[in-house]
Amino acid sequence: MSELYRKILDNLYEINILEASDPELEAISRDRSLALSLDEMKRIQNYFKRENRNPTDVELESIAQSWSEHCCYKTSKPILERTIFKIKAPQNICVISEDAGVVEFDNEYAYVVALESHNHPSALDPYGGAATGIGGILRDVVCMGAQPIALVDPLFFGPLNLPEDKLPSGTKHPLFLFKGVVSGISDYGNRVGIPTVAGMIEFDESYVGNCLVNVGCIGIVRKDRIVRSMAGNTGDVYILAGGKTGRDGIHGVTFASAELGEESEKKIPAVQLGYAIMKEPLIHACLEINEKGFLTGMKDFGGGGLSCVASEMAYAAGKGAIVHLDKIPLKQKGMAPWEIWVSESQERMMLCVKPENVEKVLEIFEFWDIPATVVGEVNDSKRIKAIYKGNVVLDLNLEFLIKGVRYERPYRIVERKERYIDFNPPNLEEVILKILGSPRIGSKESVIRRYDHEVRAATILKPMQGLINKQTHGDATVIKPLKDSLRGLAITCDVNPIFCKLDPYWGAASAIEEVIRNLVAVNSIPHSLADCLNFGNPEKEHILGEFVRCCEGLYFAANSFGIPFVSGNVSFYNEGSLGSVAPTPTLMGIGIVRDVRKVVSVDLKKDGNLIYIIGETEREMAGSEYYQILGLNDGIIPKVDPKKTKEKINSLLRAMDNSLVKSCHDLSKGGLMVGIAEMSFGGDLGVDLDLSKMNGLRTDFKLFSESNGRWLVEIEKKDEERFENIVSHCKKIGSVTKEREIRIRDGEMELNLSLDELREKWNSAVEREV
Amino acid sequence: MPKACILIMEGTNCEEETKTAFEEVGIEAELVHLKQLTGDVPKKKKRNLFDYQIMMLPGGWSAGDYIRAGAIFAARIKSKLMRDIEEFVANGYLVGGICNGFQILLELGLLPGFEGISEEPIAALTTNLNARFQCRPVYVKHINKCAFTEKIDKGEVLQIPVAHAEGRFTFGENDEKFLERLIDNKQIVFRYCHSDGKEAEGEFPWNPNGSLYDIAGISNPEGNVLGMMPHPERVMEGINKAEWTRNKIDEGDGRVFFESIAEYIKRR
Repeated sequence: MSELYRKILDNLYEINILEASDPELEAISRDRSLALSLDEMKRIQNYFKRENRNPTDVELESIAQSWSEHCCYKTSKPILERTIFKIKAPQNICVISEDAGVVEFDNEYAYVVALESHNHPSALDPYGGAATGIGGILRDVVCMGAQPIALVDPLFFGPLNLPEDKLPSGTKHPLFLFKGVVSGISDYGNRVGIPTVAGMIEFDESYVGNCLVNVGCIGIVRKDRIVRSMAGNTGDVYILAGGKTGRDGIHGVTFASAELGEESEKKIPAVQLGYAIMKEPLIHACLEINEKGFLTGMKDFGGGGLSCVASEMAYAAGKGAIVHLDKIPLKQKGMAPWEIWVSESQERMMLCVKPENVEKVLEIFEFWDIPATVVGEVNDSKRIKAIYKGNVVLDLNLEFLIKGVRYERPYRIVERKERYIDFNPPNLEEVILKILGSPRIGSKESVIRRYDHEVRAATILKPMQGLINKQTHGDATVIKPLKDSLRGLAITCDVNPIFCKLDPYWGAASAIEEVIRNLVAVNSIPHSLADCLNFGNPEKEHILGEFVRCCEGLYFAANSFGIPFVSGNVSFYNEGSLGSVAPTPTLMGIGIVRDVRKVVSVDLKKDGNLIYIIGETEREMAGSEYYQILGLNDGIIPKVDPKKTKEKINSLLRAMDNSLVKSCHDLSKGGLMVGIAEMSFGGDLGVDLDLSKMNGLRTDFKLFSESNGRWLVEIEKKDEERFENIVSHCKKIGSVTKEREIRIRDGEMELNLSLDELREKWNSAVEREV
Repeated sequence: MPKACILIMEGTNCEEETKTAFEEVGIEAELVHLKQLTGDVPKKKKRNLFDYQIMMLPGGWSAGDYIRAGAIFAARIKSKLMRDIEEFVANGYLVGGICNGFQILLELGLLPGFEGISEEPIAALTTNLNARFQCRPVYVKHINKCAFTEKIDKGEVLQIPVAHAEGRFTFGENDEKFLERLIDNKQIVFRYCHSDGKEAEGEFPWNPNGSLYDIAGISNPEGNVLGMMPHPERVMEGINKAEWTRNKIDEGDGRVFFESIAEYIKRR
């Protein structure tokens, strides 16, 4: 050990940063994997000059946790504050500031929303990484006092058929990652007994070096039982409940705040291990304790472990706290105090409780066989202090620790030149089969069925809809959270990273519109949004430029629709050796269903019914699956016109409330062609369409354009007039037929496609059900 | 009022909806942790099995099911509660198991129970033929009546979802011999089938797991112990059904199952 380190105990050191040179400061950060820049090390040096002493290794580690991009959003916060954080809405109860957003459900209840990434752990250990991601998001919801009612999993991988020789060294094959992640979600999510009801799976080469695993959770809580993620009063105690603390998950947050590379494999200890069967009773116990009113605060252990939980809870309450490290139950002997302080071991919760309730709380944990220990107390010091074997191993000013750093980093916006391209349309029938057989479009049923989406018996509209064993993708899932109320929550996830890659602004705006369209398609009123913003290294100017444009696009669209962002997460440094991931602002949208008996599913219902298209189809072909398949990168990117779309939404919802709409599907990836095919699959019925009434586009553009603001709806013949009176921006384009055939005419052109053949392609695009 | 004991331990997770299902048909239901019956809790938390008329083992992943589905839960029951359960069953009270509960009943030897409770399990629910967890709606045909299904007509087809990774019923090398006995004893309660009741004949996805003879649920010869893989508690309402948006809203197909139980134990 160099002279920079002075031993206090066998596993505790003082680090001489007061006398360290710049290269030595950098070396300390590097050697200990702190991911702190020289500038940040100097700020720390200055702080300890004022304190007139050197830090311990515990203190340095603690600061590295709190100052990581992952914990303090030092790069993203200024940008978020001038964009998506600005949207105010009356339904917001407690948003952005806590582990999860709390939004009004009805007079008595609120729903809770959280969405975050678990990308780097999943890229190294797909099974374990994905599983712990679910554990973390569940705790985020539970720590607000809410009962989790649904999970979602948006996933992004490289092409599953990527040739081995194209795989960069040190990177795992997309197929291996895909299988591992899905198994991890299935094994962990199913065990905790919360239904996994929605998600998405995208494929793009940019995810080869760094797959994205986002995970979200929705919960429900009575308004008078909402718990804040902050300490209570002076004298209250901290109770640590759940799993023991071990060496797993050390430096998870600093690992998350750097790019992946060939050497990343060595960082496996940064991946936590999950244990679903601790989680399930832990949820029970915490909610029981909350129901009895024993909590003054609660927060889950996430990134940064005890360091972040103990500090942030105290800071949020304007208090201080002291923590006794000797009292923390450990998995391994001989853990150093800094390891105990920053370990991200799973299945742990911190409760803040009045001293007189401690016994009652511990009794409840004992009933559920959950280890729980008093580990500290709240005071007025505005400092965080940790004691280990009689030594003060950490004593930091909370303001310095938590509010430490914030950057206005330089960024560069790359403008895209838009132009139409001319080409002769290919053989349409061949292209249609290719599109339906593309992994981006094809059926995800084999994955969806591996997640229990019905446990809790509250999933009213399921992720797969239609005739049993002929089912098709729905636009959103609907949960009925309360036994005695017909009110429901519609849940959906979306983003089109291909759009975002071409144009981050309009790509992000399109994601908002798609989420909103999905929610409306099942007859729900769009109500709130959560975001998980996955980007590359923000220290690169063009990457931060993409981030800025995405945030502006999200803000423009969401604000115009009046839908607030209530919770979110930023994940930077998603880069492998091949470069950055496509800008991926994953969104989860929540809609309010006023009466679950009136939801609309996607499958065609009956022959003889009429098919309408709502909205205008434009020649906005850039980023479409059609152009992807033809290898075309140019073209016009779909735009968003919130004012027009809002009018359509209002009229469509009115038609639905009048029970005029028999089925509905939003048009997005793959356009009209994929939309009508999916509706037909679910009902096992054919259609006869005549596109000549749509505006004067070429047939291939009509079929495959991914213009925003569009839905397909099915109505009964007798309701034709009533429907047209309510919904103005619509055109009748055909009818449902008994023959299992999709028949499309456009002037001279005529296509006859066998439903079974299309379904066969669609079913085997990703992974066939066997 | 008759009372149901819904037995739980760490990892069971369908207990809330099972409790609700009982309450919907007028039976008081209590979530009882295994250790409340074995006495490993403070006195005020202790419970006696004989205060209930039915013991239901709900679905889930008891103790994580990391060894074999239901094995740990069954081992814990065997070590401390088996005598009570034997007496409970002998007295004609009901013991039911759904999904993980069915797996546990086989592990305990309560099913198929050809000659009373067997020392060793003679049947198992093993890994689905496609080696994947399956959450999907299925159709089951009611084959023989038992105490749990008296209100359901013979031959009636119900639509109930399954959600399991290990649901393939088998007697192992004794498939032929014991299947015959199961049929002769009229112990097969539910079989997977097509929507019109036609036999699934092992064909996926109508038979979601490759179960022997499309078996979805069986009872003991006396008809007071039943295990089934599908989850009736998940379809109490019409709007819980997979295809309800295609039809008029009616009752969920699981309701009649719980109504049968209620009728049976109220009559006793």
